[in-house]
Amino acid sequence: MFGNNKTQKSGMSIIIVGCGKAGSALVERLSGEGHDITIIDRDDAKIQAVTNMYDVMGVVGNGASYSVQVEAGIDSADLFIAVTDSDELNLLCCTVAKREGKCVTIARVHTPEYSKEAPFLKDKLGLQMIINPEYEAAKVMSRTLSLPMAEEVSSFAHGQVEMIKIRITEGNTLDGMKIMDLGRDVTSNVVICAVEREGEVHIPSGQFILRGGDHISFVATRKDARGFLSKIGLKWAPIKDALIVGGGKDAYYLADLLLRAGIQVSIIERDVAKCENLSIMLPKAVIINDDGTNEEVLKEAGLETTQAFIPLTGIDEENIILSMYAKQVSQAKVITRISRNNFGSIVHNLDLGSVFFPKFIMSEAIVAYVRARQNSMDCNIETLYHIFGSRAEAIEFIVENETAVTGRKLSELKLKNNLRIAFIRRHNNIIFPGGDDEIRVGDTVMVVTANTGFRDIQDILQ
Amino acid sequence: MNNSMIRVILGHIMKIEAAFLLLPCIIALIYREPEGWTYLAVALCSAAAGVLLGLKKPEDKNLFLKEGCVTTALGWILMSIIGALPFYFTGEIPKFVDACFETVSGFTTTGSSILNDIESLSHASLFWRSGTHWIGGMGVLVFLLSIVSLSGGSTINLMKAESPGPSVGKLVPKIKASARYLYLIYAAMTLAEVVLLAVGGCPVFDSITLAFGTAGTGGFAIRGDSLAGYSPYVQWVVTVFMIMFGINFNVYYLILIRHIKDAVKIEEVRYYLFIILTAIIIIFINVRNLFDSAGEAIRHVAFQVASIITTTGFATVDFDRWDTTAKYVLLMLMFIGACAGSTGGGIKVSRLVIIVKTILKELNSYIHPRSIKKILYDGKPAEHVMIRSVNVFMATYILIFASSILLISFEGEDLVTTITAVITTINNIGPGLNKLGPTCNFSFLSSFSKVILMFDMLAGRLELFPLVMLFHPRLLKELVIPKKRGR
Repeated sequence: MFGNNKTQKSGMSIIIVGCGKAGSALVERLSGEGHDITIIDRDDAKIQAVTNMYDVMGVVGNGASYSVQVEAGIDSADLFIAVTDSDELNLLCCTVAKREGKCVTIARVHTPEYSKEAPFLKDKLGLQMIINPEYEAAKVMSRTLSLPMAEEVSSFAHGQVEMIKIRITEGNTLDGMKIMDLGRDVTSNVVICAVEREGEVHIPSGQFILRGGDHISFVATRKDARGFLSKIGLKWAPIKDALIVGGGKDAYYLADLLLRAGIQVSIIERDVAKCENLSIMLPKAVIINDDGTNEEVLKEAGLETTQAFIPLTGIDEENIILSMYAKQVSQAKVITRISRNNFGSIVHNLDLGSVFFPKFIMSEAIVAYVRARQNSMDCNIETLYHIFGSRAEAIEFIVENETAVTGRKLSELKLKNNLRIAFIRRHNNIIFPGGDDEIRVGDTVMVVTANTGFRDIQDILQ
Repeated sequence: MNNSMIRVILGHIMKIEAAFLLLPCIIALIYREPEGWTYLAVALCSAAAGVLLGLKKPEDKNLFLKEGCVTTALGWILMSIIGALPFYFTGEIPKFVDACFETVSGFTTTGSSILNDIESLSHASLFWRSGTHWIGGMGVLVFLLSIVSLSGGSTINLMKAESPGPSVGKLVPKIKASARYLYLIYAAMTLAEVVLLAVGGCPVFDSITLAFGTAGTGGFAIRGDSLAGYSPYVQWVVTVFMIMFGINFNVYYLILIRHIKDAVKIEEVRYYLFIILTAIIIIFINVRNLFDSAGEAIRHVAFQVASIITTTGFATVDFDRWDTTAKYVLLMLMFIGACAGSTGGGIKVSRLVIIVKTILKELNSYIHPRSIKKILYDGKPAEHVMIRSVNVFMATYILIFASSILLISFEGEDLVTTITAVITTINNIGPGLNKLGPTCNFSFLSSFSKVILMFDMLAGRLELFPLVMLFHPRLLKELVIPKKRGR
């Protein structure tokens, strides 16, 4: 009669300042995990919109103001997150909050100047975390460019292991193969953790048969990944140049990373002042001052011959159109960045190359932190990714103490369904575990699961 | 229109009502009354129907404002019909229209009665009658939100539709916790009143039913002469508690978490208490001579003022015999009503405060046409949306008020009776004047008038729009014809 009585661990008390795209995405992720959330924003309409959709409380006011923070409950807050558009405001909010309450503070800082000084700011202002979503997004994009045939690349174990998502074409070697035959027929250094077929996410057992059209996510070291991909016929050639449309912060960070990797970068930006700034900060890049949405301009900048194309205009619709155009006229690897998730379902049907949604990058980092904090048992979460939208999660747990999962063979543990232990990292070695392996203290374990909400390595047990 | 979610919530409401219907059974057991079986039967049917409605789970759990309004309106109508069944089937109220009237009057915490002989009712029915005040006071949907975890954050729309006041907010971030706090404070205060009354010599059964009537600011008493026959101590206790239940519950929450300074700063409560004081003074001067002693006069004046402004409707004297000035002050109090966020009815003090401030701002604009003056409420700027909704509420109120009076005028009664019939029901008070005064009842009205007044009672309690929305043609179409959901 009284609904499902899932006893949830008591949530944290969280205050979020800034109700824009980033703030709303954060509220969307965190409100589903049982926390007491209060949001602060100057704009009443934004507060109304969020409080009508999610079970949170709203306060209209200036988040850096002491009295507003008190009204929002800073005295009893566990976590204070400032994600307004202004770095200065975020840092000020956190400074005031740190003085006022006993909470942990997280600030979003995304201008390049402050971002470079992030460690200093963290230390002096007592911040727990500084997040730079644009920089993180740029890292994801540059990783995807390093493996151009992949749809998505995420990194684990401090970069030693990668989770790569690819689409299997009909007639490929993998089409029709059983997962457990993979080790025998292709390679054994690769673990297929998740398969998306027709909108459903499966965590495959050994009996699962792959089909053309599936999107698979697999885990391997970078070297083994390249070998695996070429064995199944996905050859790759390193990308030598890239064309970016738009000269915002995300373009700067991406261009910077690509230039360091030795890739030639051209940026098309409309605003003269921005162009001048970019040419100072990125002396090795080619900066073109023109309208990147114009077909002629794009052709002149080399769209038809470039090897990578990334539209970052800041307007989703423009990016989508540009990507579609690029796919039509060139062989370039295209990455489309969609900041608002409004039409996510249609987007999957369009051919836009690699699509990714940056608004969740920031929330993933924070959700990982929040989950790890809630655990008083000593087990930490190193990284957390939501894959396939939010239908599955890939989590890296650090095992610091003896628990119910340590010291026993994996085949003896009663694991939950829809779960796969992808790899174990022990003393800088990566082990792809079989039934006889065991988890030991000091290991880092990566779990891929369709059950969301894991906080502790022991959640893998039934 | 998310019909499946509406259906599920209606099912929950029926289950909750079934649970509450079991309480009169227990009372019937204590007093050995056969009516208990009827209550048991209705409870079981309601529970069964509730379970049936809840069988198929909805796929989309989102509730927007329109679903919130429709669910609330339909839920209350359904709840009233079910609640009327015991009265009808036990034969205590022979006509079904009358049984519905009494039940609607109960849930909407109006307190108008069609009963000629209240005291002939069984204890079980008297308990249920007063019990409807308790449930309807804080609200059945708020109760639902406090016990069931309805997923999705948009369930605040249910609370917005049912709770009174120009802007409904939460006490704490999570709606379930917020609803729980409200009910906890509500229950604690009710219990306190029961104890204080019983300790003062009032019989336990009377104490409980009086406390129910006070808490919901309803007005059903179990004696024919309302509260006239009880001791002065009882009358004073009830006076104080009536005033307390008419105060915004945010104040109590702030006191609970020890933010006393913030509690004291709430504008609405200050104006509320000020109005009460002023009314008492004016009426006292006016009717002092009708009573033997000043003490007696103060007691009755304070009681009546508290009873009317909180829209409870208890009476200790026949105030229809008072002078015109006194009666008029009472009529004005009927319109003003209690604070928002309380169990009282009426237009609400907060709306009045905003209207007065709007008038002052308008006058100011005649003096300085180009000046900008933002209306401040509780120190913060009142958003334009809220001010607009208060103004529209007033206009709608006047429309419904005027139309209802026209419809009741077909009875052919005198003007005062006709008008106060509507005033007392739309503001959820209980007694009117002349033929509907505190010593009379509503039994002589035609069934047609009773239906109109039931509409007014529901409209008043749900603050007009949720009920009126049910008659919107497009909404009716969406409700009745299920839309095919796309792939």
